[in-house]
This record gives sequence, C-alpha cells and structure tokens, in this order.
Amino acid sequence: MIQIENLTFTYPGAEEPTLKNLSVEIEQGDFLAIVGNNGCGKSTFCKTLNGLIPHFTAGDMEGKVVIGGLDTRECEIGDLAQKIGYVYQDFENQIVRPTVLDDASFACLNFDVKDYEEKGRRALEMCGIAHKTDEYIWQLSGGQKHLLALAGAAALSPEILVLDEPIAQLDPAHARDIYEVLKTMNETYGKTIIVIEHHTEYIARYCKHVMLMRGGGIAWKLPAREALCRVEELQKSNIFPPQVTLAANRVAGGAETVLPVTVEEGKEFFGRYPQTDVAKARILDAPPEENTILEFENVSVEYRSVKGDPVRVLNDFNLEIHKGEKIAVIGSNGAGKSTIMKLMCGLLKPSEGKILLQGQNIKEMEMNELSQILSLVYQNPEEMFIKDSIRRDIEYAMKVRDVENYQKRTEGLLERFQLTDLQDRDGRLLSGGQMRRASLAIGIALNPSILLLDEPTANLDIATRKEILRTLSDMKNITDTVMIATHDMQLVCEWAERILVLSGGKLLKDGTREEVFNDREVMKEAGIQPPEIYQMGKEIRPEISCYTVDEFLRLFQREAV
Amino acid sequence: MKEKLSESIFDKISIDYIRNQVLKNAYGNDDTVIARLDPRVLLIWYCFFGIVPWFLDNVVLLICLFLFVAAAAYKAKIAPLVMFVFCLGVFSQTGYLLIVSLFFGGNAETIVPVLIMTLKVAIVSMASITVFSGLDPDRLANGLLWFGCPERLSFSISFAYRILPILMEEFQNILLSYRMRGKAPKKKGISGKIKYLIYQVKVIIQAFYPLLLNTAKRSRTTVEALELKGYRYAASNKEVKRMKLSSLKIVKHDFAFIAISVVWVFGSIGMSVTI
Repeated sequence: MIQIENLTFTYPGAEEPTLKNLSVEIEQGDFLAIVGNNGCGKSTFCKTLNGLIPHFTAGDMEGKVVIGGLDTRECEIGDLAQKIGYVYQDFENQIVRPTVLDDASFACLNFDVKDYEEKGRRALEMCGIAHKTDEYIWQLSGGQKHLLALAGAAALSPEILVLDEPIAQLDPAHARDIYEVLKTMNETYGKTIIVIEHHTEYIARYCKHVMLMRGGGIAWKLPAREALCRVEELQKSNIFPPQVTLAANRVAGGAETVLPVTVEEGKEFFGRYPQTDVAKARILDAPPEENTILEFENVSVEYRSVKGDPVRVLNDFNLEIHKGEKIAVIGSNGAGKSTIMKLMCGLLKPSEGKILLQGQNIKEMEMNELSQILSLVYQNPEEMFIKDSIRRDIEYAMKVRDVENYQKRTEGLLERFQLTDLQDRDGRLLSGGQMRRASLAIGIALNPSILLLDEPTANLDIATRKEILRTLSDMKNITDTVMIATHDMQLVCEWAERILVLSGGKLLKDGTREEVFNDREVMKEAGIQPPEIYQMGKEIRPEISCYTVDEFLRLFQREAV
Repeated sequence: MKEKLSESIFDKISIDYIRNQVLKNAYGNDDTVIARLDPRVLLIWYCFFGIVPWFLDNVVLLICLFLFVAAAAYKAKIAPLVMFVFCLGVFSQTGYLLIVSLFFGGNAETIVPVLIMTLKVAIVSMASITVFSGLDPDRLANGLLWFGCPERLSFSISFAYRILPILMEEFQNILLSYRMRGKAPKKKGISGKIKYLIYQVKVIIQAFYPLLLNTAKRSRTTVEALELKGYRYAASNKEVKRMKLSSLKIVKHDFAFIAISVVWVFGSIGMSVTI
C-alpha cells in the first residue's frame, strides 16, 4: 500500500535532514503506531505521505514515496487526498466550516463529488456522530470535534487514515471512543490506519504493528506485541511501555523476552512468580494539619447561553481546601474542573454562594491581592504569553508590582526551569515541553501559596512529563498547596494526596486514592478508570490495591528483597 | 443602591457579556422568520430599503417604512447589544440634533428636516442590521456568491463565522492573563475610576498582539487542511460553485415575505399621498 524508498528530507535552512534515508513498506489493512521522542521526525514523516511534502512545504526531498501505486512527487495533493486522509494534532484548526455536516462534506464538495452531502453523512455515521449532523461546531465537545475532523478526512473514502496523537487532549472515555471508531474502520471497512501515539496501553489494545523512529530514521517496525516487549529500547526513546509490561520486565529481571502487554496476559504471567505474603501498605505522610485556607460555600455558577436559558455548570458546590494539600481534580471533559479553578482566582463570579480565601470573601478582594496568594496556569500555555519574550513574560507580574530585585528573581526562575538559553524567544515558538515549563515559571513568579494547574501534562511525551512532575515536587518550598485538574490517572496516583471526582458540576467523591478508585460506582458514573497497574494488581491479589508500578512490585519476592 | 447599579453596569459591559452577545448575534437566531428566508431575496430587499429611503423626503412615508424595518428587525431577534449600538449610532449621527432643536424651541420648520434625516439613517441602518445580523453569515455568503461576489470573499465570511467563537474565547483568556498578572489602578474616586478605565482599554489593545500571534500559529494547520480538502481546486471549478448554490431555493415563505413588503410599501405610498 505504502512504499518508501531511501527517503531523505531537509527543511529549508536546516543543517541536518529531518528524515534520513528511510525505507519502509506498510501493508494494506494495517493498524500501525508510530512512536519516538519529540522531534524525531514523526510528523514530518506523515506529511510526506499525503504529499504536503514536497508539494506544499518546500524543502529538499530525495528518494521515493509511493502510495497505492502513485508516486507522490508526480501527482497532485488533490489526487493523494482521495487516497489518504490526515487528522492533525491540533485538529480544531482543521475544521473550517461552521456546521457539522458542512465540514464533513466540504472536501467532497470541493472535489466535485455529486452526492457530497450523502458522503458527508455516511462519514459522520461511520464516526458515530450522526446525531450531531445539524449542529454548529462550537456546540461540540472536544472529543466530538476530533471525531468530526476524522469524519472530514474519511468522507472522501481514502484507503489510508493518518492521525497525529489522536487522544492527547481527551479523557479516557472519549479516548476509547476514538479508538473504537478507528478499530471499526480498520476491521469493517478495511482501512489502513496510521497513528502517532505515546499511550502504549492503547497501542497494546488496538494496534497491529509498531514503528520506532529515532533521530530521523526508522529503528524498526515490528508486530505490536513484540515491539512493546522491547522495554529498554522504548524507554531510551522516551516511550513508556504499558505499566503491565514494565512491571513484568522488572519482576522477571530482564530474563524473559516475551512479556505481557495487557492485563489479561499479565494474569497468566505473574501467576508464575512467587509472591510475598505480606502486602506492605503505603506509608502515608502525616496528614497535613487542618488549616482551611479556601472554602466554597454553596456555590452555583451559571453561564449565559447563546440560546435559551443559562446553563448551570456548578450546582450547590461545597469544598474546603486545607493548607499543604496536594489535590487532583478528575472527571470527564466538561465536568466543571476548569470552572472551579476560574472561580478560585476570581475570574468567574459565582451566581450564588460565596468563596472564602483565608476567611475573606473573594468577591471583596482586589484582583491584585488575590494574585499574590493564588495563581492559575492555563491548559493552553499560549494564552499566558502576553509579552514578546519569555523573560519579559516571567518578570511582568513582578515588574508592575515593583517587587524588589525582580530582575534577580527572574534570572533565578529562568535558571530553575532551564529557560536561561531561551529567555529571549517568544513563548509561542518553543516546543511543547518548553512552553509548559515557561508557563509554570510565569505562574509561580509571585510566590503564590496556592497554585492551580489545568492539565499540566496533556500533550507531553513521557520525558517532559517526568520533568514537570519533578518541577512540581521541587516547588514544595515555594507553594505549599497545589491543585491539578487532569485526565492523567498515573499522575493522580503518583502525586495526589486528595482526589476530587467531579461529574456534571457536582462533587461526586472526595477522598484518598484508596477511597476513590475502590468505589466502582463513582468510577463508572464519572467515566474514569484507574491506571492499568491497579487493575493488574486486583487480578492477582483482589484484596490489595496498588497504584504505581513500584507498589505493584512489592507483591513479588524478587523486588521485596 | 447606587453601588448595585454601578455593579450591574460593570457586569453588563464585561467581556464575557460582549462575547455572549456577539455569539448570540451570529448563531442564536438561526430559526427566526428572517433567517429562514432565501439570502438572495433578503439581499434584494436590502437593496431597496438600503437605497430608496435616501431619495424620499415625505415624513409619513418614511415613518411607515421605518415601522416596517423595525418590525423585521424585531422578528430577526437582534441581540440587545447590537440594538444598543444601533441606537447610539443613530443618535450620534443626527438624533441629537433633533433633541437639541426641540430643546431650543425649534418649530416644525426646523424639526422636520432633521426628523427626515434621522428617519433615513434609521431605516437604512436598521435594514442593514436585519440582513447582516439576522441572517446567518454562511447563508449570507452563499447569497453574495450567487450575485457574483468572488468565492474568496464568501469563503472568508463563513470562515470568520466558524472561528469567531475560538477567537472570542482566546481573547477572553488572554485578557484574564492580563488581569491576573497585571496591576490595575485602584477604583477609588473619580480620577481612580477614569484611570481604571484607561487601564482597561490599554489592556484590551495590548491583548490583540498575542491574539494575532496565536492566530497566526494556528492558521498553519488551517492552510494545510484547506489544501488537503481541495479548496484550491474548487475555486477554479465552475461545477462546484453550481453545486454549492443549488441548495438555495425560493419557497412559499419567501414569496409571502416579498408580497408583504410590496403591499406595505405601496400602502405607505398611498397613505403618504392621501395625508
């Protein structure tokens, strides 16, 4: 289906080629995952497939790319577009029409397909969003928008679909929906699917082959099972194998080459290893003293809606936050996580009830006072860059407040977040991980005692994610109370001491990870899932709960010694 | 009481409110009588009500026409903010002259010409609001396309319509960044309030800079996606334009609207002659 021979590509002005002498063949009906660390050329590779390279992006291309018998160099992007569909990582920007059906059928209309509306409808059906056909784009949720972008690409019935990090911004329930749709397309409609993906659990569950890219070349392409068992190699490229595989590798001490990649397989595998008798309970840090610093009292929030009555996003919400807590807020997209954070910084006003910060009603506080105590780091770092270099962004808040030695403090922050070399660059032009670090530096510039982070690990590869985690623990001496809204359950399990589960604007559960993850009903209602290792642990020792790979390994003798 | 009032005004002019009004205006009235009309009919209607009033100077006739476009605007469910801007606009153009001349004991001779001018401006701008804000921009774009406007213009209109909510949201978030990190002057006393207002305006202007850069960044994907979706091919293909416009159909509803308009205009002329 896809044949690539000795492909080398250099961006104009770049000294090194981004793709180096690639040769690979991808068969029809494959479900291929492309993995590799940030900047190894994955996205560039995908753009050579649909002809954007060399036709749209200038650069120096050598070698040959043949898609279904067509040499990409010799045919137009339009001809290729009917063979290969592409869904971007920032898929929102690829939706160009105001209504759903319009966007799904736009490509067909442009290519002069007579029954374009029918084609659009069929694509929507295939992606499971047929019930949204007549809605406006802005009425869709993030997951639905992604499905629409997919439908737009699938409408021309291409034989190949390429998706760049399809689930990076989605909660686990929506992520599963996307992959189920892809699976149907692959199995029922015989499409070839290519995904760029960091989440190896999904690769294990859905993909047939894995291709590892390293430094612009292809390290290997293997069947998914076999690929995921190459634990060391994957880790070297900043890819984390599924937790089950990781744990199995450590239990076996690297002695086995065939490792389990799913919970099902793990059951049999771990059964063969001797287990410890006593499960060591996690030693909890001493609970922080009950010193309430922030309080929600019967808070309700309504948004003005475009049509009809106002929408209630938070209903009679009560919450107490104590000094020194590490809180994770979880729940599906649209459950009200961001709303709570915006309320806390006074960016939103409650329609009923009040919020007390250190005993004082937020409503009566000046924005200036508030931002000394409390700081919010947005999900989208770009919206925090309001100056033309990150240095000026970091110093801005201190400068306008005449903080003493603000220049010195800025230097300190730049150094702490490893941004000194980048200080004169515009924040928008940095890589994902650098942007995230810069936004954290901006967020803590005023030494707030409460720090709120909205999705700090979305869109990051594992190395960058680890770095952010390290930064979080580093910041202990600056900010003592941290609240994170996230979909990342591994982060929740490794870091949080208190978990708030939100669903439909209500607080469904408030407790430790033991209390939250062991409550089946709550998990189901909020549409969340514990990390894979938790399920694995339950399979072999139902009475014990383990939340991290390290905790799981305590169940086995080898590691216990 | 006074405090409450000023608070509620502040609430009204919040950026959130403006965003809501703009969205309401663009998306919230797609099911009105006016929005369901064929865009071509409405554009022709606009040609009449946007041009003809300039050449009339009969007060009765103008009042009748004004009542008619006012009714149309009412049926189009124009967002309150737009209505307010409209009133402000008409007043600042000529309306204040009317009041001033009344105030200084102007008689019929001085008032009538000013009234005529005010009515003309009011009719024309009310008709514009009805057409451009009552009709959803996508349909408007199709209508313009039919009348031979360049494809690019009509695409830009409907694309603006698509990204408007994104831009508004992003703009709001950038402003919030300024609010959180900046230091606004204290609102105490008159001079404090003025300083505060000046600060706000300054921030709004400054916020455009990051907004533009962010938009530029996202447009890269959009441009590539347009290419992949064959937008460039369509621009040179007459058949595509025909297919696109085949969705425009004039139905009973449109005829009824035309009929009412014609009857009303002739009725008004009749009335102005008899009086």
